[in-house]
Amino acid sequence: MLPSPAVFHFLWEINTHLVKDGASVRTFGRLTSYLPEESKAVLTSHHASVQHQVSVQTTFVEPFDPIIGAQYFTLGEIDKSEGCSEATLRARVLNCVDGVDVALLQKAINEQRNFFKGRDDEAGAQ
Amino acid sequence: MANDQGSAEDEPPSLLWGLDPVFSAYARLYIKDILQMRESRQVPGIYFYKNHPLFQVDVLGTVVYKREREDFYCYGVDDSTGVINCLCWKDEKWRNQGDSVRGSSHGGVFNVEEQLRKLCEAQRIGCMLEIGDLLRVRGSLKTSREQREIMASSFYKVSDPVMDVQIARMLDMPQLYRDCYNKPFQVPCGELEAGTTDAGGPSNIQSLLGQSVCILKEFLKEKEVPKFRPYDVEYLLHPLIRSPVPSTSTGQESTSVGPSFPTQVKNLLKETLKLLQREGEIFRKVLSPDELYHVTEQDKDLLAAIRDVIREDSKREKYAEKGCHILHVLSSVRQRYSRNLSREALEVALKFLECNSDIISTTDSHYTVL
Repeated sequence: MLPSPAVFHFLWEINTHLVKDGASVRTFGRLTSYLPEESKAVLTSHHASVQHQVSVQTTFVEPFDPIIGAQYFTLGEIDKSEGCSEATLRARVLNCVDGVDVALLQKAINEQRNFFKGRDDEAGAQ
Repeated sequence: MANDQGSAEDEPPSLLWGLDPVFSAYARLYIKDILQMRESRQVPGIYFYKNHPLFQVDVLGTVVYKREREDFYCYGVDDSTGVINCLCWKDEKWRNQGDSVRGSSHGGVFNVEEQLRKLCEAQRIGCMLEIGDLLRVRGSLKTSREQREIMASSFYKVSDPVMDVQIARMLDMPQLYRDCYNKPFQVPCGELEAGTTDAGGPSNIQSLLGQSVCILKEFLKEKEVPKFRPYDVEYLLHPLIRSPVPSTSTGQESTSVGPSFPTQVKNLLKETLKLLQREGEIFRKVLSPDELYHVTEQDKDLLAAIRDVIREDSKREKYAEKGCHILHVLSSVRQRYSRNLSREALEVALKFLECNSDIISTTDSHYTVL
């Protein structure tokens, strides 16, 4: 009925073991390409001098006005089962958020993570 | 942690919930916590986060699910920690609006009707959301068919083109938890500090009195006490008063640091009995040096006297139609039973008799028997 909550992840975490196949995630990145015939968009992000990218399947969110180079926020399920090295995100939401303060957003996400981690640590210690 | 399940005994008594500011506020909790809160054992419909009682919440999240019915929208809101259904009622005003506003302006003249229609339209659009929109909801929490839901009292689409609102919320929430929700709700336990009776001021005394009244009422009800003297029940109030902590400086008697323990207990008991008399829960049948209190609802003689008065007088032509007025009953019972019976005590007794269907009230102040 209701979908699972989409946890915030950074683009560079998606292709790692941190994010499992089928997980609901929300993330953000710069739109670098869009192929309407294949319903495939690519979001990229820079981290530790490495460019990371994720394929986004846009079937559910079309039509949308693609602004190449703009920051986008997306939410959906991760598909890692295809055997490709890259994971695909089946987007349920794709919003342009160009102008977002990326550094501040990162800080906010980490703040929230630290809070939950601290809580889980406390609970574990009890 | 939100999941720390306490038993019902861990819940603060419902009488004191209003003292917790969180209870009156729309709590900004993570949806994860909202879904995991336990329901109160004392009052269904109230939920506990840690030991804060609450029933109203404020959430901000992405719409990931939408269902529309004739009267309401049901939006599934995802704030990245959990997803919850929000029931958002449609405003009646919108139904009578036609289709989109026609742009006919009368050459610069301010047309009120037109503006009003535009306003209604803007309001309507502000409440119609699609999947992917950001929604802010304030409402009360309900559990329906084992699912937690929010019945929105207000909701609107948030315009957040550069994610400012969401970022601000993400930064604020942990601080809010630290400052407020994770701090336990301090139930005032009436601890009077050694040295001053006025510690905490009037509010401290009030809460102390409230607790003592509760304790006494419960005791009298549970044990079905018909009458008592003050020293019979004094011990019940001992837990409320802590004896003064021994002063650090030597050679000081506890009496010089403030009223002694027995005095505090006596004062509290005196105030409590005064209050209970004023409420009519107890009364003194005879004013004599012997301080004997009768418990109104347990005094069988009083109840019988009231019943008899009403039964006999209802037969008289004067009272047959409407029944006996309470003041008439009061003066009759005073003659028959006790000169000192207060109106409040009579009202308590009448209510009790009515609950037992011994008498019925024909108006607010008239009673009769069938």
